[in-house]
Amino acid sequence: MTPPDGRATVLVAPRPWAKALPALGVALIWAFLIVFLVYPLLRLFYDAFTDDAGRFTLLNFYEFFTDRFYLRSLWNSILLGVGTVVATSVLGVAIAFLLVRYDFWGRSVFSYLTLIPIISPPLVGVLGFTFIMGRAGTINVFLMDYLDMLTPINFVYGIHGVLLVETLHLFPMITLNVVDALGKVDPSLEEAAESVGARAWRKTWTITLPLTTPGYMAGALLVFIWTFADFATPLILGVHDLLASQAYLNVVQFVDRRLFRMGIVISALMVILAVLFLIAAKQYVAIKDYSSLAYSKVERRRLSPVKQILVVAALSFVMLLSFIPYIGVTLAAFGKGWSLTLVPLQYTLQYFERVIVETPKYILNSFLYSGIAVGLCILVGVPIAWMLARTRLPGNGALDALNTLILAIPGTAVGIAYIRAFHVEIPGLGVALTSVWIIMPLVLAVRRLPYTVRGSYASLLLVHTSMEEAAANVGATGFQTFRDITLPLIWKGVLVGGLFSFMTSLQEASATLFLSLGGWEMMTVGIFNFYIAGSANEAAALGFILIVVAALSLIVINRVAGTRMGGMFG
Amino acid sequence: MKRTTLTAVALLLAALVGGAGLAQAQAPIEDELVLQTPVSKFIVDAALKAFAQYAKEKWNVNLKTNALYAGTPVSYGRIVEWKGKPEVDIFWGGESALFDKLAEQKLLVKVEISKAAWDAIPASIGKPKPVPLKDPNGFWVGTALEPYGLVYHPRVLKRLGVAELKDWEDVLNPKLKGNVAQCAPTRSSSSHATYEVILQEKGDAKGWEWLQRLAANSGIFTARSRDVPSVVAKGEFAVGFAVPSYMAFEEKLAGFDIKFVAPKNAFVTPEPMGILAGAKHPKAARAFVEFLLTEQGQRVFMERGLFPITPKYKVQGPPGSTAELAVEFTGGVRSYFDAPVSNIYDDDIAQKRYKEVNEQYRKDIEAVLDDLKKKY
Repeated sequence: MTPPDGRATVLVAPRPWAKALPALGVALIWAFLIVFLVYPLLRLFYDAFTDDAGRFTLLNFYEFFTDRFYLRSLWNSILLGVGTVVATSVLGVAIAFLLVRYDFWGRSVFSYLTLIPIISPPLVGVLGFTFIMGRAGTINVFLMDYLDMLTPINFVYGIHGVLLVETLHLFPMITLNVVDALGKVDPSLEEAAESVGARAWRKTWTITLPLTTPGYMAGALLVFIWTFADFATPLILGVHDLLASQAYLNVVQFVDRRLFRMGIVISALMVILAVLFLIAAKQYVAIKDYSSLAYSKVERRRLSPVKQILVVAALSFVMLLSFIPYIGVTLAAFGKGWSLTLVPLQYTLQYFERVIVETPKYILNSFLYSGIAVGLCILVGVPIAWMLARTRLPGNGALDALNTLILAIPGTAVGIAYIRAFHVEIPGLGVALTSVWIIMPLVLAVRRLPYTVRGSYASLLLVHTSMEEAAANVGATGFQTFRDITLPLIWKGVLVGGLFSFMTSLQEASATLFLSLGGWEMMTVGIFNFYIAGSANEAAALGFILIVVAALSLIVINRVAGTRMGGMFG
Repeated sequence: MKRTTLTAVALLLAALVGGAGLAQAQAPIEDELVLQTPVSKFIVDAALKAFAQYAKEKWNVNLKTNALYAGTPVSYGRIVEWKGKPEVDIFWGGESALFDKLAEQKLLVKVEISKAAWDAIPASIGKPKPVPLKDPNGFWVGTALEPYGLVYHPRVLKRLGVAELKDWEDVLNPKLKGNVAQCAPTRSSSSHATYEVILQEKGDAKGWEWLQRLAANSGIFTARSRDVPSVVAKGEFAVGFAVPSYMAFEEKLAGFDIKFVAPKNAFVTPEPMGILAGAKHPKAARAFVEFLLTEQGQRVFMERGLFPITPKYKVQGPPGSTAELAVEFTGGVRSYFDAPVSNIYDDDIAQKRYKEVNEQYRKDIEAVLDDLKKKY
């Protein structure tokens, strides 16, 4: 049936190719996720459920659940997570309501400032906190030297300190999501409530809050998981009886193989718990989902001058508290020999000289790896978003679930899983992936993929398919349509997602800590190395640079995305 | 045209011959050296820098150095995991028993430095229990003497009305309740030794009670041993338990007000060094070990709060030098070979019951910390 003349073949030939290409793309994306996400996690579970000889066993878990100390750690972790969710919710929801519903002096400045606590650099953020709030911190020095208090107040050492630090760090996650969700509440519903006589509180309680539940739950889940997985904060504050601390401390005990295996078991348990929380949250949202789709213009109520002053004062106070880490980090980055005085007495640039001039590798590696990671995120993430938004391919549900799952898996577990999974020689190459630097951007790309996917997905939903169909009608191929129609319309979302992936890659300090080898150190790894080596000042200098870079990224994101950032986490 | 070609050929030949001659005469080293070590950056960076300079002067080699820092267990674990194909050339620091274990697994090669350098190091130090300073089988050699003791912040002590510390018992002072920092022996193999000193000195029953009292007096258990002098230097806590002299001295040099004391029977380690089997840069590794044992190499340690591994050298320098500051800081000691060293710590006992001690520490102290704080 083949036509004898060549031209006809030209017309026919591209078709199988054009059909095969998307299939190949889908296959590649799945291959990426299976190799770099599913396989390492399976390997982690394999280790958790076998003994040294590789036989299946439940003894590891039996040991965990019969150990008083581990059980207390589990209980404390859950309590701390719940406590942080409650505390961040009170703070975060209140601030979100103020920002969305009311107009007051400095509102837009505050809406940017409330984002800033999120970028607190790992480890040194807490350290900065102790420099100000610690037993010999500025506050206690002031109380003792100027107000004659006898013994310092213990603000930070202990689980209450962890709760305080996490709350001030993470409340923006709630704020962002609730702001986003509030923007979607149809005012007509609230008007309806008013028309049947509901007063302000009742209206908020029965109509507005339930409508923001999905957004809120997304934020709350992230706060919970973050707190659940954070090991650096509790360790600096001297709290060891938490799961994340135990996972970290045990895994770094290579000599004692039994402790090492318990570290793996605890990591696996954390993954299981995280997945359970994720499912529970999804179930809850599914039951409660009655949100409408449209973004609608909300009218802001202008507050009376007295109320304005109160609101601004309250917000400023919260901001001041949550900026404590930054103040502490900055003072430590420039101050020398700071002990028992309000602020350092001597100032120097020597720490910056050391981290910028002597060892620029920290900064170079950070940008290189995060840059490659974002490239990968876009390469893999935008097609995933497109598959989710535009196709009904089998496996899309699993794809969506995997993408959300990444957000829920503690970085420590990912790092440990990677060590276990990729410490074998790649056939034909003679090296293990763990001895090649590319593993760093790879793990970053996997961990930060969801942000790019979500950013792109949200934008794709806003582009009506009719535009793409129109292009297809005039003969554009799928790729042309994507390039000429879809991409120009969604680039903002991709950019925001990409930048968010970039910024959070720079900040990553759990998985990369386990995988970094000599010469690959990123800024966060440098922070840990300097801190561990006893040079808190150099760590602070790196932390300061990280804060500046992240703040700049946030400004760009904020400009491009406006208040829609909440969708990034949801 | 011809002349240029000829000149070029002549130059090339000269370069080849010269290069070969140099190579034969001076046995150059590889241009790279990588360490795996729990020893602090403060010491390691300085040692590597001094060695790179030495290599440049002696062999005109531009040496690239790097160090992978990790606690002793992780360092050791990595070397075992590498299974004889190590990413590094040298393992430095930690307990000498671990070096013996590595040698058993054939993961070390003999150090093989010059006889003069080897013989300058005494076989051991301390009585009644001698601490070995080099491996009779030649697989590791000590590099510097490092005592573990107590650190304190004089101003915080003063405010609490506590006299400057001298003895182990001083940390149990009730006035110091909540003001002691320590890193549990389960978390740090280097601090572990000092806990063993207490147990071996006092015997099991009394020793454990002592450690329980210490825990009850503590305000923080740090995640890493290095954090102990940091939180004391800052003034967050008044006293730190089981801290090596150099870590405290590093804080002193950074401008903090902190003091160090090594009470009787304080644990002393020779900071062993060994060359890994299968190392990619064996010549550079060997040259590094030799260098550290020269006066120039030992000076790196002496200026950082450590003590020479051989009686040949003493910590001293012009008035106001860091070496003199170090002498003042460690209570006037210039060499550990000047006076008899008292040591009761038995590493064989410690290594044999390492896990049991950790297990008991977890059960009798970490798990019941709140109760202990109420009890004592």
